[in-house]
Amino acid sequence: MTTLRSSVLRLLCWAIGIGFVLYVPFVLNTRTVFGYRVGNMVLLNLGLAQVDLMLISIIGAVSLNFLTGCAGLISVGHAAFFAVGAMAAAAAGQQLGLPFAATLIAATIAGAIAGVIAGLPSLRVRGLYFVLSTLALHFIVVFCFAEYQYAFHDVAGVTMGDATIMGFELDNNVKWYFFLLPFVVLVCVMLQSTLGLREGRAVLAMRDNELAAAASGIDVRMLRLKVFAFSSAIASLAGALQAYYFTSVSAEIYTLDTAIQFIAMIIVGGMGSIRGGIAGAVVWLLLPSVLVGTTVELKVLPGGVAQFLVGHQPQMVNLTFGVLVAVLLITAPGGLAGLARSFAARGSRQGSGV
Amino acid sequence: MLMQFLASGFMLGSVYGLVALGFAAIYKATRVFNFAQGMLMATGAYLAVTGSVVLGLPLVGTIAFVVVAAGTLGVVIQWLLIRPLAGRPLLAMVMITIALSIILRALIVIIFGGGAQTLRLGLPEGSFVLGSVRISAIHATAAGVSWLCMALFMVFFRFSKAGLLMRATADSHEAAVLSGVNVNRINATAWALGTILAAIGGVFLGQLQVASVELENIGLLALPAVVIGGLQSIPGAIIGGLLVGLIEQLSSGYISPKARDIFVYVPLLIILLVRPWGLFGERELGRV
Amino acid sequence: MSGVASAEAVLEVQGVFAAYAAKATALSDVSLTIPAGGMVALLGSNGAGKTTLIKAISGLLPLHHGTLVSGSVRIAGTNITGLRADRIVRLGLGQVPEGRLVFKHLTVEENLQVGAAVVPRAVGRERIAAVYDLFPRLAERRRQQAGLMSGGEQQMLALGRALASAPRILLIDELSLGLAPIIVKAIYAQLRAVRAAFGTAMLVVEQNAKLALEICDTAYVLERGVIVMSGSAAEVAASDRIRESYLGSSGGAL
Repeated sequence: MTTLRSSVLRLLCWAIGIGFVLYVPFVLNTRTVFGYRVGNMVLLNLGLAQVDLMLISIIGAVSLNFLTGCAGLISVGHAAFFAVGAMAAAAAGQQLGLPFAATLIAATIAGAIAGVIAGLPSLRVRGLYFVLSTLALHFIVVFCFAEYQYAFHDVAGVTMGDATIMGFELDNNVKWYFFLLPFVVLVCVMLQSTLGLREGRAVLAMRDNELAAAASGIDVRMLRLKVFAFSSAIASLAGALQAYYFTSVSAEIYTLDTAIQFIAMIIVGGMGSIRGGIAGAVVWLLLPSVLVGTTVELKVLPGGVAQFLVGHQPQMVNLTFGVLVAVLLITAPGGLAGLARSFAARGSRQGSGV
Repeated sequence: MLMQFLASGFMLGSVYGLVALGFAAIYKATRVFNFAQGMLMATGAYLAVTGSVVLGLPLVGTIAFVVVAAGTLGVVIQWLLIRPLAGRPLLAMVMITIALSIILRALIVIIFGGGAQTLRLGLPEGSFVLGSVRISAIHATAAGVSWLCMALFMVFFRFSKAGLLMRATADSHEAAVLSGVNVNRINATAWALGTILAAIGGVFLGQLQVASVELENIGLLALPAVVIGGLQSIPGAIIGGLLVGLIEQLSSGYISPKARDIFVYVPLLIILLVRPWGLFGERELGRV
Repeated sequence: MSGVASAEAVLEVQGVFAAYAAKATALSDVSLTIPAGGMVALLGSNGAGKTTLIKAISGLLPLHHGTLVSGSVRIAGTNITGLRADRIVRLGLGQVPEGRLVFKHLTVEENLQVGAAVVPRAVGRERIAAVYDLFPRLAERRRQQAGLMSGGEQQMLALGRALASAPRILLIDELSLGLAPIIVKAIYAQLRAVRAAFGTAMLVVEQNAKLALEICDTAYVLERGVIVMSGSAAEVAASDRIRESYLGSSGGAL
């Protein structure tokens, strides 16, 4: 009886969730819910463009979480893989004249290759030294990107071709939303199911105890390279998508800060789970709007303070996120996903106790 | 031309060496790899702006203000962020310093605005010619003060009681506790010193260029400097800083200013692969 | 042996229960008393709880994920239960830890100076001179890096460093481990000299029961976290239980 009810409940939740995800872009685009106009505050001052960028960030965050959270390899090179993807897509599209879909595949392949190369130091060094090798990688890739940009494109940036797939051009945010959504779902499902496979469990085993993993017959060196290739291939794909979305990208946008933001996302969301990566990216998106928009619109603060907040919105967001990362690191190493899990566990324990 | 590049590289490298030394002091005593060192350096530049422009202090007053404020900041960081994470994995330690740099950057921009600030402390200006090399007085002062600070630190580290306890703690945390050393106080001292050294470096770089949060990227060069020199080696950090300064000036002089990163980070990668314990460090764990 | 803290006792452990996070109780109701200038042996096989007791006394249990559940530890009447390890050292507990923990990159002289850092400068200087008198080997090597010395010399240095802090009581943990018997004998002989010179009390934790019983006045035997026997060294050495399990017929269980 209870199991039936809970499975119906779960089905209902899924249905509502899917409906919500599918309906959101229209709400944000038309600013109406079922034909009724809603205020900006209700929509948290969100625009669909932010949501599209968040979808790309989710792909980046979950792939980094696979690398760092699941395999235990800390990398500050994730922005570099975005750059690799953008570069590969631009080269395939502009220099070779390949169609959009083919450039995405090219970006993914280039990312995998770059990942294997970037993972090579992991055969020699680990821990802190490996983090540093990814730092070096970051600066080297960004340098290459800049050289490529100046050689083949404009000082202003690398221009991407039209994102057209089978005659269907992605020329507005709604189309992009429905184009990106399947990618996000696909990547998450793929990573989740990988973790269930024998190889995926080996990855976790390697993170928890490398010696024991090696002793039980896992080729940890090969596995690390594979993980690195897999993660960077996905990140490169995200980088290519991001470049097409922006229509033009330049070397300056691939900063170390971008890479650090991805790490911050998985720390906030929770290390080592797909859910954590998603949660982190969502918080990263919602935080600015919730933080500033609501305080101003609710008029809870005196005018001067509110104005100050609006004037310093990006910095306030960074400040809050920095503090959030620090507080979570100290008090809740599992991130938001970990907190949710422990709440759920407490809830179910109380529920069964009554 | 070569002599000119070498001279300016040496002078710039002295300041880098100072920042790298601060980094090494923190790493050696507390085993925290401080990614915020670059931001601490930028913070130093802004502390100088606060002292000289906002508070209107004279040169000596500004320097005293920077040293006291940076030292306090270091202690606060250690108490608030580093101490609670004792015994936690590497990622947590790396991330907390990254979070620190995010927070510092945001605070600086909120307080001072995103634009650059000119920093004029009334240090000697102009330049003089030495052989075939023209040297600006500010560069010379920066190098001179950096070497003075490094010498002071070395004397402190080698010969003072606190320096002895710091070396002892770096050597063996457990043995230090068992010898009655208050390790928390030692760690706080290390953070205070590391922050002060970074801040002094920032004051000079703010003077040579402008005070802006983008100084962080220059300060980050302390990382490759320290690793190239050897993470465990205090003199190695200084030499690493000098090397990075020379590389920067030579590569931007002969090739292009953008080439700096590639000529710093490619050697870093090679060092990591071939000799991860650095040119002057001792072999230690951390390799496969 | 009642609950009243005697003024004479330099170390008094009362009803200590300790446990590690993962395992069950590691110590239950352990009490022992060391009078001023007394040398007490703590005997027991591997896993009997000797190291746990040492850590409970020295305040290091939390560092090893253990807790002192109840009971108290006093040094010369001062309650040190729950204090930080470095504070306990400053209150007069000298530590000679297992495994010869010396500062490998510091010189012999610097190692001793770290030990002496907790006492006034003059006292420290005096103490370091006294240590050099007791161990001339250390005086010869005062400028040498500690990590480059032999195991025996490092053990002397660890002992010397603890003595430099002018402790009321020394905790000596498995001093003989991994050292040649002749060196162990020499160091143990110096322990008596230390007591004669400074009146320092000692708690000697030792696997080699014969050796410990030879130099100590009294002994406690710990088994599975419980004190199963205590008395003068001669009494304990004569008991069947000890002869069988620790001394053996050949006399000496290493």
